[in-house]
Amino acid sequence: MSFLLVNQLSRIFDLSEPWILRKIKGQQKKLLKAVDKVNFSIERGQTYALVGESGSGKSTIAMMVAGLIKPSSGFITIDGYNFFSPTIENNIKSSLRKSVQMIFQSPYASLNPRWRVGDVLKEPIKAFNLIESENGQKRRVCELLEQVGLSERDINKFPHEFSGGQRQRICIARSLASEPKLIICDEPTSALDVSVQAQVLNLLKDLQKQFSLTYLFISHDLAVVSTMANRIGVLKQGILVEEASPNKLFEKPEHDYTKMLLTAAPDIKNVSKIP
Amino acid sequence: MKLPFLESDLYYNFKRTPVAVLSFFVFLIIVIMAIFADIIAPHTPFEPLTLNLLNGFTPPMQANEFTGTIFLMGTDDQGRDLFSTILFGLRISLFVGLMAVFLAMVIGVTLGLIAGFVGGVLDSVIMRFADIQITFPSILVAMLIYGVAKGLLPPDLRYEMSITVLIISIGLSEWVPFARTVRGSTLVEKEKEYVISARMLGLSYPQIMVRHILPNILSPVLVIATITLALAIITEATLSFLGVGVPTTKPSLGTLIRIGQDFLFSGEWWILLFPALTLLLLALSINLFGDWLRDMLNPKLK
Repeated sequence: MSFLLVNQLSRIFDLSEPWILRKIKGQQKKLLKAVDKVNFSIERGQTYALVGESGSGKSTIAMMVAGLIKPSSGFITIDGYNFFSPTIENNIKSSLRKSVQMIFQSPYASLNPRWRVGDVLKEPIKAFNLIESENGQKRRVCELLEQVGLSERDINKFPHEFSGGQRQRICIARSLASEPKLIICDEPTSALDVSVQAQVLNLLKDLQKQFSLTYLFISHDLAVVSTMANRIGVLKQGILVEEASPNKLFEKPEHDYTKMLLTAAPDIKNVSKIP
Repeated sequence: MKLPFLESDLYYNFKRTPVAVLSFFVFLIIVIMAIFADIIAPHTPFEPLTLNLLNGFTPPMQANEFTGTIFLMGTDDQGRDLFSTILFGLRISLFVGLMAVFLAMVIGVTLGLIAGFVGGVLDSVIMRFADIQITFPSILVAMLIYGVAKGLLPPDLRYEMSITVLIISIGLSEWVPFARTVRGSTLVEKEKEYVISARMLGLSYPQIMVRHILPNILSPVLVIATITLALAIITEATLSFLGVGVPTTKPSLGTLIRIGQDFLFSGEWWILLFPALTLLLLALSINLFGDWLRDMLNPKLK
């Protein structure tokens, strides 16, 4: 069985006005199908990328996999366990939370501006009771900082003292702190400079090898996706319209929407031909 | 030694805003005078033995007929030194004001955090209740709560509890601005990714609210607390002026103004003027300082 299995996943948001206003104005309920019967699976140690425009439901899927939004129908299992199964026990839910972590798009909003880096990284360690002793926690924080290419000296700094790329490294360190198996990367590089993007992507790849991590990678940047993913799923208005390996998707896209996405992306080969 | 505060933008701007510096120091002097009233005051106005009725209605800067000491601000009908009475009155006014603001802040911040973070029905209930309360003038709400509390207390406790009751009634009438502001800021903060990442750790709602959101929404709370302090002191003075506030044996500024009012048209102007001026100076300095603080902490005005 696959490590992450997403089966017939749907999520409907209720955008209608309050009941009483609806009755007065005589309106129907307004429902938005953000995600519509999506199926995919990821094997352990692989990277699966979801691409699509904004509003296509990528982040909603990410939030459901992370266990923060309840699916309207369908289910997700991670290592065989389901966050929203009615029979789930609390200790399994806690270990599930521990094994799924997330890296966010904006490195500016994803760190609490009033917390020092050391406290940010200690939080998951304390929340899951991984290390009891104060010294052990500190050692672990230093280790994490070194793993993402920062140094021990940064432990007492505040987030605003770092650049965007460095902050994203801190976020990666935080997501590694609970020793997860699955990391959801929600557009981790789209707020960064191109040169920094490459560094962060390489770091993610190295960490994947080192800790045999599984990535659910969400992006609208096809260039980024092509370097990272083993499989790519194309989302359009909540529906998974095409799924293929990167090579096949870039060589022979089948769905019109995928072709449109590919033509919209800037192509370096063509740029160099301009005299 | 390097103090981080002395290098902050806030302090830099403070030094370059004369109104802020002036209002801050006026407020500071008033507070110090209230705290050390025992030492500064030439008389203890509540010690009947030291009073002499023959000193009654002495105008400002006139000497005591018996001891020769000068009454800086004159005396009232009982021969009490007005300056000393004002110092002790300030102490009560400031105490009631500060405690009331603290109470309002605790209630408002808690309810605002819950309303903003939990949302849904709880949010609607809390905020509609706040809407209803704000349609009444806060002085009316304070009087209502004061009246009800006085009615509920046994008669022998009424006298001792009157300051506590006053604090509670002013505190309960001023929590709405805190709750509204905190709810708004919480709605912004809770969507930020650091809160989502805290939720992914399985932290409970109170943990996330207190450890993550609260420290990030405190600057507007500070501004409202400053402005509400002036409001609370004025509300207390108004209540005491109307005779429903502190007991006459522990006169606050409002009580002194009420007493002074009786003598205004018989020529003893100082009994009214000096307590009223003190109240004006206190409220004005807090308000001016609060205005400056609001402008500084509001990123849109920078």
